[in-house]
Amino acid sequence: MPVILQKAWLFLPELSYLGMALALFFISLARRPDTARTQRWALAMALVAVAAAAVAAGGEGLLFWGAYRVDLFSQVFKLILTVATALVFMICRDLSGVEDRYHPEFFMFLSTCTLGMMLMVSSVELMSLYLALELSSFSLYILVPLRAGDDIDVEAAVKYLFIGITASCVMLFGMSYLFGATHSLYLRDIVAELPLLIHQPAAVVGMLLLLSGFFFKLAVFPFHFWAPDVYQGAANQVAAYIATASKAAAVALLIRITGLTGGTNIYLTDVLIVFCVVSMCLGNLVAIVQKGIKRMLAYSTIAHAGYVLMGVLTMTAGGYAGSIFYSLAYMIMNYAAFMVVVVVAAGGRNLNISDLAGLHRRSPLLALTLMIALFSLAGIPPTAGFTAKFLVFAAAMQQGYFWLVLVGMINATVSLYYYLMVIKAAYLDEPANPQEPITLSLPMRLLNYGLILAMVYLGLWPQHFLAVCDQAVRRVLGGGA
Amino acid sequence: MLAPGAGLLVILLLPHDNQRAVRWVALASAVFALALTLWLYVTYDQSAGGLQFAEHYPWVPSLGISYYVAVDGINLPMLLLTSIVYLTGVWTMWDLTVRVKEFFALMLLMVLGVYGVFISLDLFFLFVFYDVALFPMYPLIAIWGSTRKEYGALKLTLYLLAGSALILPGILYVYFESGQFTFNLVELAKAGLDPGVQKLGFFLFLFGFGVLAGLWPFHTWSPVGHVAAPTAVSMIHAGVLMKLGAYGVLRVGMFLCPEGLAEWAPLFALLATVGVVYGAFVGLAQTDLKYVIGYSSVSHMGLVSLGLATMTVGGITGAVFQMFAHGVMTALFFSSVGHIYDRTHTKLVPELGGMAKVMPVASFFFILAAMAGIGVPCLASFWAELLVFINAVRVYPVLGVLAVCGLVVSALFMLRVVQKTFYGPKNQRFADKPDMVPAMIVPRALLAGTILLFGLAPRLMMDLIGTGAAALVGGFK
Repeated sequence: MPVILQKAWLFLPELSYLGMALALFFISLARRPDTARTQRWALAMALVAVAAAAVAAGGEGLLFWGAYRVDLFSQVFKLILTVATALVFMICRDLSGVEDRYHPEFFMFLSTCTLGMMLMVSSVELMSLYLALELSSFSLYILVPLRAGDDIDVEAAVKYLFIGITASCVMLFGMSYLFGATHSLYLRDIVAELPLLIHQPAAVVGMLLLLSGFFFKLAVFPFHFWAPDVYQGAANQVAAYIATASKAAAVALLIRITGLTGGTNIYLTDVLIVFCVVSMCLGNLVAIVQKGIKRMLAYSTIAHAGYVLMGVLTMTAGGYAGSIFYSLAYMIMNYAAFMVVVVVAAGGRNLNISDLAGLHRRSPLLALTLMIALFSLAGIPPTAGFTAKFLVFAAAMQQGYFWLVLVGMINATVSLYYYLMVIKAAYLDEPANPQEPITLSLPMRLLNYGLILAMVYLGLWPQHFLAVCDQAVRRVLGGGA
Repeated sequence: MLAPGAGLLVILLLPHDNQRAVRWVALASAVFALALTLWLYVTYDQSAGGLQFAEHYPWVPSLGISYYVAVDGINLPMLLLTSIVYLTGVWTMWDLTVRVKEFFALMLLMVLGVYGVFISLDLFFLFVFYDVALFPMYPLIAIWGSTRKEYGALKLTLYLLAGSALILPGILYVYFESGQFTFNLVELAKAGLDPGVQKLGFFLFLFGFGVLAGLWPFHTWSPVGHVAAPTAVSMIHAGVLMKLGAYGVLRVGMFLCPEGLAEWAPLFALLATVGVVYGAFVGLAQTDLKYVIGYSSVSHMGLVSLGLATMTVGGITGAVFQMFAHGVMTALFFSSVGHIYDRTHTKLVPELGGMAKVMPVASFFFILAAMAGIGVPCLASFWAELLVFINAVRVYPVLGVLAVCGLVVSALFMLRVVQKTFYGPKNQRFADKPDMVPAMIVPRALLAGTILLFGLAPRLMMDLIGTGAAALVGGFK
């Protein structure tokens, strides 16, 4: 195979997304946009991209003068990202939550955002990393205020923008520290230098500041303030996207960057433990009192960010593999929950938990999906959420963080309370006024069955994907970034 | 073992409106499960003892998780208990008409989890099955229950899962501290753990599983949950699920951390005795039949814990036997009360009265269960309680005597309830209510027969449990 073709093969998922964004750009130029057709095309292209990511999954190599690394780690995350985006496209048939004239742009910015994240998970040089991050962030800054109707979207967008930009600045500042300490922007140089320098304050501070950018994406305390407002203010589909794809990318980068330190710095770990505990407790406790289901899910996201962080802060192969597994499981179960919200919320309005009353009669299948997704989020076996929690807790226990695991488990019990409240609404409460049954189209029914199967499959037979995670982590740790 | 699993799949595939088929499938799977368990019981080689019928498949080799099941003298009685209660529970709910398919599907899922816990010898699977057995309780109580059902369901679920919040760290702690990287119980026990590790580990297991065993002061969910649950769920719940907790303490806590047990045994015995006495006195003050049974369960489960805490072959045999006897007895209790409640729509003692004349058959079963609860000779519980008391008085003289006094109090309140409910002046409002039809007598008769059988021939059960208990106590040395 000629070199150029081989490189193109490595770059195939990104290329397909680039083509997709371009195509959607031209569609957006049409005088009278047709949402249904745009959605079909976008979905078709997204599925092609999933195929491309699958084809390129075995690829390995360096591109762009060593600034861009394709390996199993990045490819696993690209696969997760493309699948998440395709899934989000599937629930975009009824886009009444977004103003009509922006529909093609909506799809376009979602693709550029995913493109940015795909570039992000492969970047091994700080500048390209930053650019990729900004590409995805700016797409999201635009997507949030596209919501039709009331003005809460503007407030959410402004908050998101300001907090996001602050996080970016902090991150750039951290990069400058790292550059000062190691004289290089390439992660492979940094990883050679850093373990020697990691006990210097400059390196630790630089590291933490650099991580802030991803804490922001993941909504870890103290960078979580935007999450509830943005989830509430953005269109349901955008919120679903932020809650799934965007989290996976952030986890990838947290793993890549903390992997650089060699896991020897006690201060860094201590700070991460504090963030982890506060995120879990704060997210779960505040989620209890929420009435809006999106706000509730936003706070539960903060709590889940804490669980993921638990895997990351162990800085062991097992912990990282657990975190990757967690991000996949989280993507699926959170998507399932959001999918139900999108379908039930006719007209793209915001849904209160009480609006779910009587769902089991309106659509038994949706209620079942919701129940399994919520049980999975709460970490009840035999679902994916349980296995994921089990893996990160096991990794933390291995490092001797007994109390951390105990706090995590207590938090899981707390979270069960508010998830049960939603299940109770869906299964037990009678709606104030009778509502129409929801009829699902065949693809949507298949999607529901698929999600349920995926959640149970990952819960019962995790070993295949876990082996892939293990391999991927070895690439990051052993391959020297 | 997989009978409820197969039944569950079939029920999920059945259409909603076909209630008859759903019931028949549930019943068939229950009968099949009972037949399989009986076969196990008969073919289990008591002279050889130990673990038999083992199946072992690696599951996630990189973490040392394997699917490992086997039966021994301790879990075989539990399996038998589960099968009997499960069959009678399905039969009792024959008249259910609301959301039949969901009800039986959830019930089968729960029973599947229960079987799983009893036979698993791998900590990971044990925990998974444990949670699978617990979480269907929430919808089962919240949808089909009565009397403050949502409160009861929520309280129960949160208490029990808070318990599992202690168990999982305990499991992981033991897993890593052993240095064996296996979840296999037998291998972990063989490897032996550091005494310090055992101390903390046993503490976690004791309170984690203890919540489900109704260990005082973590019992408050249990009467509330029993009262709120529908009849069959009360039966399975009080009859079988609470045994999961005691079984967990025994199988995981005591098996893995014998030295931790020695450390905590006085506290364990104290809590158990407080449970026995407390349950008896609070039961004295109740007017709701289901609350009466709920508190008597707390009291009887205290006896189980006390037996376990003696750390003697006799005490543990008695405890396991008591688990079995109490399970069957409570199932009979709830099933009789369920029948009375379905007909009269009340389960308050003052409102009933003279029921023995109105429903002689139902009353007979209730009184039989009450006598078993008091420990009348010739009934299964008598032997179990006797064994526990003999050993308890020997090991903990003060606590043992206190527990005996507690039992006397519970005899008092049982007899008082029986007297007020079934004798005395007849309440005319219920005079024309029908008694049990023959088909409905069968499951109750099965339970009553079990109590009598093992009461008259206790060796059938005691020898079997003894083989398991002796092996366990051998590990303490």
